[in-house]
Amino acid sequence: MADPVTEQDARPFPAGAKTLVRVENAVKHFPAGFGATVKAVDGVSFEIREGETLGLVGESGCGKSTLGRLVAQLIPVTSGKIFLDDVELTRLRGEKLRQQRRLMQIIFQDPFASLDPRMTVGDIIAEPLVNFRVMRGRQLNARVQELLRVVGLNPNFNNRYPHEFSGGQRQRVGIARALALNPKLIVCDEAISALDVSIQAQIVNLLEDLQREFKLTYLFIAHDLSVVRHISDRVMVMYLGKIVEVADSVGTYSNPKHPYTKALLSAIPVPDPKIQRGRRLVELSGEIPSPLNPPSGCRFHTRCPIAHLPTPCAEVEPPLEEKLRGHLAACHFSQDV
Amino acid sequence: MASPILQVRNLRTQFATDQGLVRAVDDVSFDLYPGESLGIVGESGSGKSVTALSILRLVPEPGRIVSGEVQFRGTDILKMNEEEVRDIRGRDIAMIFQDPQSSLNPVLRTGYQIDEAMLAHKKGNRRQVRKRTIELLRQVRIPAPERRVNDFPHQLSGGMRQRAMIAMGLANSPSILIADEPTTALDVTVQAQILELLADLNHDLGTAIIMITHNMGVVAGLCSRVIVMYAGQIVEQGPVEQIFESPQHPYTWSLIRSIPRVDALRHERLRSIEGIAPDLLRPPSGCRFHPRCPFRVDKCFNDPPPLVEVKPDQMASCWVTMDRARKEMGADDLVDIRPGAGSGIHPPEAH
Repeated sequence: MADPVTEQDARPFPAGAKTLVRVENAVKHFPAGFGATVKAVDGVSFEIREGETLGLVGESGCGKSTLGRLVAQLIPVTSGKIFLDDVELTRLRGEKLRQQRRLMQIIFQDPFASLDPRMTVGDIIAEPLVNFRVMRGRQLNARVQELLRVVGLNPNFNNRYPHEFSGGQRQRVGIARALALNPKLIVCDEAISALDVSIQAQIVNLLEDLQREFKLTYLFIAHDLSVVRHISDRVMVMYLGKIVEVADSVGTYSNPKHPYTKALLSAIPVPDPKIQRGRRLVELSGEIPSPLNPPSGCRFHTRCPIAHLPTPCAEVEPPLEEKLRGHLAACHFSQDV
Repeated sequence: MASPILQVRNLRTQFATDQGLVRAVDDVSFDLYPGESLGIVGESGSGKSVTALSILRLVPEPGRIVSGEVQFRGTDILKMNEEEVRDIRGRDIAMIFQDPQSSLNPVLRTGYQIDEAMLAHKKGNRRQVRKRTIELLRQVRIPAPERRVNDFPHQLSGGMRQRAMIAMGLANSPSILIADEPTTALDVTVQAQILELLADLNHDLGTAIIMITHNMGVVAGLCSRVIVMYAGQIVEQGPVEQIFESPQHPYTWSLIRSIPRVDALRHERLRSIEGIAPDLLRPPSGCRFHPRCPFRVDKCFNDPPPLVEVKPDQMASCWVTMDRARKEMGADDLVDIRPGAGSGIHPPEAH
């Protein structure tokens, strides 16, 4: 009973690229009181290849952070399956799940809120190693200092507290903590969004260097499409809890097959006045509908500039299917985009 | 060219903190011409927001404007009494902020708050101003303004709240609208709509706009002139096309090159700016950018460079300038961008 979407998604993978993460029809609903549910993630299937960076973009409320948390198993799925290296995480409980968690780490947006202000950065970085009883004593100290060096901080800073560091340096501490257990997958949830422009570039370069050095796989979640394009091998676009498009980053950006992706791209200002003034904004009517009660058929039909109404767009949900080689989109009229 | 509508001269704003004096704005001078849109870009702590707040004397405690002039139509705002400033705020010079949520009173209806902006400046009676409020909401493209006027702020989406704030800013047809990161908290599609709205208002109503932002893309789309700030000072200013085409200050140059572009053709490593933002309690000696600058020369360590004309209409404060860095230091081919990488001057203190 393989999900057809997953099959098609898997086909374009180059031979030899192993699948690290497989998500099958994942659903996450949150109760919203009075019997209502927020359908934050509403049936998504995709795979992450070993060693790649999969970008995940979308506007606030599209479910991208929730999906990141599901993949890292910080919250349980409502239904669906998530596999890491062919181990079905969604069936594991307790200690077995905890052991799998070593392989998946997450870096958060706010480097101020995600580090305990009363712990030294050395203790923060050592905590996962202590929790999993990987090492202690002098060996632990040496590992902490090595991790500090790897992320570009002075190894002798291990006795300092988070408040003594700038935002960019704190994010480096968060990265060092994520690296401590030699994970396979790192979920970067808006990991550079809170940083200044010049510091963002430093952290992006650091993440790229670390990926090469430690063969890491990233799920890179961000609302900034320019950064996502830069860092990602493939990009996945979400709208109201659904994946609307997945392709390699060149394909997504130069030849979008979903009208939402196209609108999103047209909205990003290009830092070049000559080009920026010649660009045309694809205006979307209205606002993002409530995830409590998403529109029927294609969820984007209420704002879509090319929708055929009422049928099929308001009635039939378009499947996520391959439109070009390795390029999936969920749109009835993707040839018109 | 017409004479400037706003002239800021040698503005210095400081914050007395427990750790010492923070010179947030340190000798800043610039002109704003009627109907133009001027961008002020910089990173956190560059002094761009405090500059904007100083213009309207809204600097929060413990901040203090210690010297300088802000000439508006020939009168120095810094010398006015409280009542005179209040007359100008919202009537001649209006300001909108990053977070529309916290700028609107949650317990008052949105329309009522826009009415108040006009009533405070005696622009008519309640019925007249309400008519204009609805007109303004229509102008900022809020759908069904007759109904929305009675909504409380929480009933509006983030984008609509920012539109309502812009409507309030425009209520008294000000000649200057200062926008402090007005789109930073919004999603990109909403940001694009708000920027388009501001561009239209600038064009149709002739309102001069000062756009405070950290986003070079926003400047590229909206502004005709740009000021780049670093550590409390202006490091470069000039026409937008010229600055993007040929930045002369190494900070501007690296800032433009460190942003990934959505229209990039191939994957290039980002040219990051090494090091961290300067500590304003103890700003670096000489040129404030020298600890991070790939092109520094000996002079940069001790002598602060003046802001001088480097090209027609373009000013920069740099002893080297990018023309020379390109010609003599191979700036365009530079892969290593560590401090001193281009000029070879790595003093011992940098290690």
